[in-house]
Amino acid sequence: MDPARRLALFEQTVLPHLNAAYNLARWLTRNAHDAEDMTQEAYLRAFRSFDTFQGQDGRAWLLAVVRNTCFTWLRKRGNQPVEEFDEQMHGAADESPNAESVLIQQAALGSLQECVEALPLEFREAIVLRELEELSYKEISEITRVPVGTVMSRLARARKRLQECLAGALS
Amino acid sequence: MNCETAQRLMATNDPALAQHLLSCPSCITRTHARYYEAPPELEQKIRRSLSNEASSQHGSQWRWLAIAASLLLAASVAWNVAMLRSRVDPERLLAGNVLSAHVRSLAGTHLLDVPSSDQHTVKPWFDGKIDFAPDVKALEGFPLLGGRLEYIEGHPAAALIYGRDKHTINLFTWPSAASAADASQTLNGYHLLSWSGNGMTFWAVSDLNETELRQFVSLYRQK
Repeated sequence: MDPARRLALFEQTVLPHLNAAYNLARWLTRNAHDAEDMTQEAYLRAFRSFDTFQGQDGRAWLLAVVRNTCFTWLRKRGNQPVEEFDEQMHGAADESPNAESVLIQQAALGSLQECVEALPLEFREAIVLRELEELSYKEISEITRVPVGTVMSRLARARKRLQECLAGALS
Repeated sequence: MNCETAQRLMATNDPALAQHLLSCPSCITRTHARYYEAPPELEQKIRRSLSNEASSQHGSQWRWLAIAASLLLAASVAWNVAMLRSRVDPERLLAGNVLSAHVRSLAGTHLLDVPSSDQHTVKPWFDGKIDFAPDVKALEGFPLLGGRLEYIEGHPAAALIYGRDKHTINLFTWPSAASAADASQTLNGYHLLSWSGNGMTFWAVSDLNETELRQFVSLYRQK
């Protein structure tokens, strides 16, 4: 494809989803500066692999690139339990009491923010894609590359955690 | 409870009512988790980096095209040169073959098939071995050493061997329809003189100096 046309097409189909991209990056990195870097990086990556874009939903396609970019970066930094994330181990019963007590102190109904931010990366990702981007289970499963069943169980656990976090803040 | 109700109740800041909201964490998230909007300058940054990327891809495309074009050009030049050489050079190729025959004859032990200084011995020796009769001559100052059968460019040739001091001269001759102009060349320090006449081609090769070799040739041609 002619490079100028390729750029124009990219700007037309992918650039409009900038807010969604930034929002996801912001929630995954939990800070504005890294979120900006990640978004910019993800856009470059997306543009380079634009040939794999088959005219499906530009937003879901872009979000998959954003999340991969963020996960790669987080993994490199090594401060996130990304690789060996165990669904069972991260069940509600196993929460670290320390994190919990911090959450109880911090959280109030008005500071739902902290409760979401305190979620493990995969839970946070599922919640953001589902509740903020309002994507379907199937779309989330494609973006995060896990089965739909896993998406559903992550969402259920994430909600339960949020509920507990908020309850703790209110008690 | 739908999300609007949840939102309204949360605004009251009543813990008891808020407690009730916990039945719908999904609603709370939707209404209260922040949706971060991209900072206004981010779009410009991204547009800039995309257009840089696009122009570098564009540039690299041209670069590749340029490389491909120059490779093509080089290949075609090389091919043309090769063609030109092969077109110009049947003569040079022949000279190479003649010289090889000369060097081979000196390097091995097979300089002479018929060692004789007598032209009347050498000439008949070829009879029956090749379908032409080479002109074997006795030349003043260039003693005949003998004859040898050669094979040059797929054709039998007669090699007449003459001496001059410690130098050896191979005079190759074979029939050829085409008549070539007199020519001389020097290859690897050897001198080669060629001419044609009476339906025969002649090549005289030696490490002898050119003047004496020319002398030899003119003597041979005079007789």
